[in-house]
Amino acid sequence: MLNYGERVPGEASPAIEVRNIWKVFGSGAAAQAIALAEGGASRSQILQQTDQTVAVRDVSFSVGRGETFVVMGLSGSGKSTLIRCLSRLIEPSKGEVLLEGKDLLAMGDEELRGVRRGQMSMVFQHFGLFPHRRVIDNIAYGLEVQGVDKSTRLDRANEVLEIVGLSGWADHYPQQLSGGMQQRVGLARALAVDPQILLFDEPFSALDPLIRKEMQDELIRLQKTMQRTIVFITHDFAEALRLGDRIAIMKDGSFDQVGTPEEIITQPATDYVREFTNDIPRAKVLSVRSVAVAGNPVSGGRTVLASARIETVIPMLLDRDEAISIIDESGKAIGVVNRQSVASMLQAEQQ
Amino acid sequence: MSIALSSAPSRKQLRRLPAAAGFIALLALAQILGQRGFPESWNINLANPVNDLQGWVRDNRGQHWLFTFVFEPFTWIVDFGLERTSGFIGWLPWFIPPTIVFLVIARSGKYWTAGFAAFAVIYPGIVGVWEQSIDTVSLMAVSVALSIAIGIPIGIWTALNKRAESALRPMLDAMQTVPATVYLIPVVLIFGIGQVPAAIATIIYALPPIIRLTALGIQQVPASAVEAAKMFGATKRQTLMKVQLPLAVPSIIAGINQTVMMALGIVVIATLVGAAGLGQEIMQTVRMLSPGRGLVVGMAVVAVAFVLDRVSLAVVVAPGEQRRALPRRKLALILSALFVGAIFGRAIGIHEFPFSWGTSFADPVDTAVNWFRDTFDVVTRPFNDFLVRDVLIRARRLLNETLSWQLIVIAATTLAFHVSGWKMAITTSLGLVFIGVTGMWPDASKTLSQTVVAVLFSILIALPIGIWLGRRPRAEAALSPVLDSLQTIPPLIYAIPFVMIFTVGPVPGIVAAVVYAIPPGIRLTSLGIRQVNKESIEAATTFGATQRQVLWGVRIPLAMPSIILAINQMVMMVLAMAIIAGMVGGEGLGYRSVEALTRSNSGLGAEVGIAIVLMATILDRLLQALAKRMQAPAAL
Repeated sequence: MLNYGERVPGEASPAIEVRNIWKVFGSGAAAQAIALAEGGASRSQILQQTDQTVAVRDVSFSVGRGETFVVMGLSGSGKSTLIRCLSRLIEPSKGEVLLEGKDLLAMGDEELRGVRRGQMSMVFQHFGLFPHRRVIDNIAYGLEVQGVDKSTRLDRANEVLEIVGLSGWADHYPQQLSGGMQQRVGLARALAVDPQILLFDEPFSALDPLIRKEMQDELIRLQKTMQRTIVFITHDFAEALRLGDRIAIMKDGSFDQVGTPEEIITQPATDYVREFTNDIPRAKVLSVRSVAVAGNPVSGGRTVLASARIETVIPMLLDRDEAISIIDESGKAIGVVNRQSVASMLQAEQQ
Repeated sequence: MSIALSSAPSRKQLRRLPAAAGFIALLALAQILGQRGFPESWNINLANPVNDLQGWVRDNRGQHWLFTFVFEPFTWIVDFGLERTSGFIGWLPWFIPPTIVFLVIARSGKYWTAGFAAFAVIYPGIVGVWEQSIDTVSLMAVSVALSIAIGIPIGIWTALNKRAESALRPMLDAMQTVPATVYLIPVVLIFGIGQVPAAIATIIYALPPIIRLTALGIQQVPASAVEAAKMFGATKRQTLMKVQLPLAVPSIIAGINQTVMMALGIVVIATLVGAAGLGQEIMQTVRMLSPGRGLVVGMAVVAVAFVLDRVSLAVVVAPGEQRRALPRRKLALILSALFVGAIFGRAIGIHEFPFSWGTSFADPVDTAVNWFRDTFDVVTRPFNDFLVRDVLIRARRLLNETLSWQLIVIAATTLAFHVSGWKMAITTSLGLVFIGVTGMWPDASKTLSQTVVAVLFSILIALPIGIWLGRRPRAEAALSPVLDSLQTIPPLIYAIPFVMIFTVGPVPGIVAAVVYAIPPGIRLTSLGIRQVNKESIEAATTFGATQRQVLWGVRIPLAMPSIILAINQMVMMVLAMAIIAGMVGGEGLGYRSVEALTRSNSGLGAEVGIAIVLMATILDRLLQALAKRMQAPAAL
C-alpha cells in the first residue's frame, strides 16, 4: 500500500481539534453578526438586523485518532457547513481548526492543497463523481492530481475497487451504476489516497433504506480494519447511533449535546435531544453494563462482555432463565444481568 | 364576506379614473400643441463626426500604430487563413472532401446520415457552384475557427469571474438583438471592403453563442464535482482542465454549432462588404430575378450548413458515452489512402468537378413561379396594393404626419412604465427622442409599420400552428426537419419568389420576413404549450373541463410567457430581415443601411445602426418585461 500523509507528529494531540468555530453567510464583515449572536440573539433576529445568516455558532470539539465522530442534525442545522469548515471548502468566519496540532486556517493555498491531497478526504452526499470519467479514473483522481504516474495509480485504484466490492466495474461510467454502487465509488475514491482523516457528508442519505443499511455495515466493517479518523454527518439519528463512537446533536448552528450513544440515550441534555431518543429501542443501543445488577456469578454459567448491546443477551435469557455474568475487558466480573433487570429497563422505556 | 358578482366598477377602478382622465388630457394636449413629424432642425448630424473619423481612418491607415500593430496583423492572419484554406480545398480533387465527411460521420455508426452528408458536399458541384461553395466554406471555416479561438477563452473567463460576467452579459444581450448589418458598418469603417472585413464581421457576429454556451457549460458543471475536485487538492487549473472543461464539452459543441449557423446566417449580407462565394451568387440571382437559381444556390447554403452541423456533432462524443478509439494504425492507413487518392487525382487531372446540371433544376422552378404569378395575379395584385396603399402608407402617415411626435413619445413611455417601471420608461423616451435627433424618425416609422404588419401576420400563422403542434408531439417531430431547414436557408432566398410575385416594393420583404420569423415562433409556442404542468391539466380535466376549456383556461394562460417570448423572437427576426427587405425594395432603415454600405457612407451607417439598435432594444425589453409579468409569481 502507498503511504501518503504523515501520521507522526504530536501523538498526544487529537487528530482534529475545533475551537470556537463560527461561520456567517452574507455580505460584509461577520463581526457584527457574531457579536449579536454572542449577546444571545437568535438566527432570525440576526438575519433581520444584518442580513446575514449564522450557520455555525461557536462550535468546539475534538476527534481522537481512529475515532468515529458523528454530527447529527436536521436540515438547516449547519452540519454541512461545519464539515466544510474542516477542510476549508468553506472558509470559517472565526475560530481555529487544528489538524494533528497544525493550524489549518493559517495555511497557504499550497499547504492546504497538500493536506487535502494526502491527509484528508471526503465522501459527498450526492456522490460528487465525475460523469465523464470511468469508475477507475474517478477513483484514481486524487492520485492523478498529485501527479502519481498512471500505472501506479491504476493499480492502487483497482486495489481499492476490490476493497469496496466493485471489481469488474472499473470501465463503466458512474451514471451506469446504481446509487449504492456510485457511493461505493465515492468511498473508494476517498480511500484511494489513503487519508488519515475521512469526512462524510451525509453519504448514505440519498440511498434507499436497505442499501443504506448495507453501506453502514460496510463502513463499520472497513473501519474495523482501517482505523481512520472519521467525521460523519447525518440527519438520521439511528445511523448516528450505529456508526458513532461519539455523537454531537446539532441545532441552529451549535451543538446541543456531545456524548457516546449511550450517554445521549440515557441522559439527553435538552428536550430537543430527548425527542430523538424517544423512538429509539434502548436494547439496541445500551450496553449490558447499564443494566448490570449486583450478584454473584453463576459458577460455570454464561458470561457476556460489558460493552455488548442488551439485545444480544435477550435471546440468551429467554433460552434459560439464569443470570449471566458481566465481565469487563480485563475479564473481571462486574455484576450480572437477569430477566428482571432487562425487563425493568424495557418497562422504563415504555414511559 | 360574500362573493360579489356585480359588474359595477370597483373602488380601485374608480380611484384610477382621475389619473386616466389626466393622461388622456395630456395626450390631447401633446397632439394639439405638438409637432407633426420630428423637427428637422433638431438633427444633431451625428453623421459628421463619424464621416470625419472615416476620413481620418483613410488618411492614417498607413501610419497609425492602431493599424500597423493591431488591425493589420489581424487582417494578415485572417487573410492568410482564408487563402490557405480555400487554396487547400481547391487543390483537393473533388471526391476527397465528400469521402472525408463520410468517414468522419460514419465512424459514429450513422451510415445513412454519412451518405446524405457526402451527397450534400457534392451538391454545390452538381448545381455548378463548386468554386463558390469552396469560398464560402473557407470563409466559414476561418471565421468560425477564429470565433472559437476568441470565444472559448472569453467564455471560460466569464464563467469563472463574476465581475467579467456582469460586464459582458449586457453586451452579449445587446449583440443578440442587433441586426447583422450593424456589425458591418464599423468593420467597413476600419477594414474597408473585401474578403477580410467580411470574415471579421462574421467573426464578431458569430461570437456571442460560443461565449455564452461555454460559460453556461462551465457554470452547469455540478457543484459537487467541482467541490470534490477541490477536496482532492486539485489546483484551479487542474479543476478547469480535468473536470469543468470536459463536462462543459456538450454545451461548447452546441455553442460551436450555433456559431456555425450564425456565421452562415450572414453569408449573404457579408457579400455587401465584399465576401465572395455563395452569397455573391445569391445576390446575382436577385438581380437576375430567378427564383429557380435562387433556390438551387440556397440549397447549396443549406447543404453546407447541414454538413458542418453533422460533422461537428460527429466529432465529439458526450462525456460518459463509450468511445470507440480508432486504432492508430487504421487511422494512419486511412489518412495515407486519402493522401495517395488526392495526389493521384491531381496527377491524372480529375480535381475539377466533372459536371454541372445547375440550370436543369432552376428552369422548372422559374417556370412554376411565373405560372403562379400569372395565374394568381387576381389575388396577389390587390393584396399587394391593399398592403401598400391602405396599410403601410397610412401607418407611416399616422406616425409621421397625423400624430405629433410628442404624443407618440408620451404614449410609448407610459406603456413602458406600465409594463416594466421607471427604468424602462426612461430608456424608451430617451431612445425614441434619440432616433428623432439622428434624423431617422421618418425611416424608423416606415420600418416600424412594416415590422408591425409582418409580426401580425407571423402571429396569425405561427401561434395557431404552435398551439396545435404543442399537443401533438408526433406531428411536431415530423415537422421539425422542415422548420430546421427553413431556419438555415439564407433569408434573401425567401424573398426572390415573392419579388417575382409581388414586384419590387415593401411587400416581398414583409412576406419573406414572415416566412423567416415563423419557424422559431412555432417552436417557442409549442414548447410553451407542451411544458405546461401536467397536473394542472389533469386537475382541470377532473373538474370536468372540456378540451376547449382546458386549452383556453389552462394551457394558453400558463404558456403565455413562452408565447410572448415567441412574439418577441419573431419581432427580432423581422427586424433582422429589415435589411433584406431593403435589398428588394422595402423602404425604411433597412434600405438606408444598404445605401450606407454600398456607398461606404459610415456617417449614415452609424445613424441607421443606432436607430435600429434602439428600436430593437426597446421592443425586445418591452416584450421581455411583458413575458415576465405574465409569469405566475415565483415561490417566496
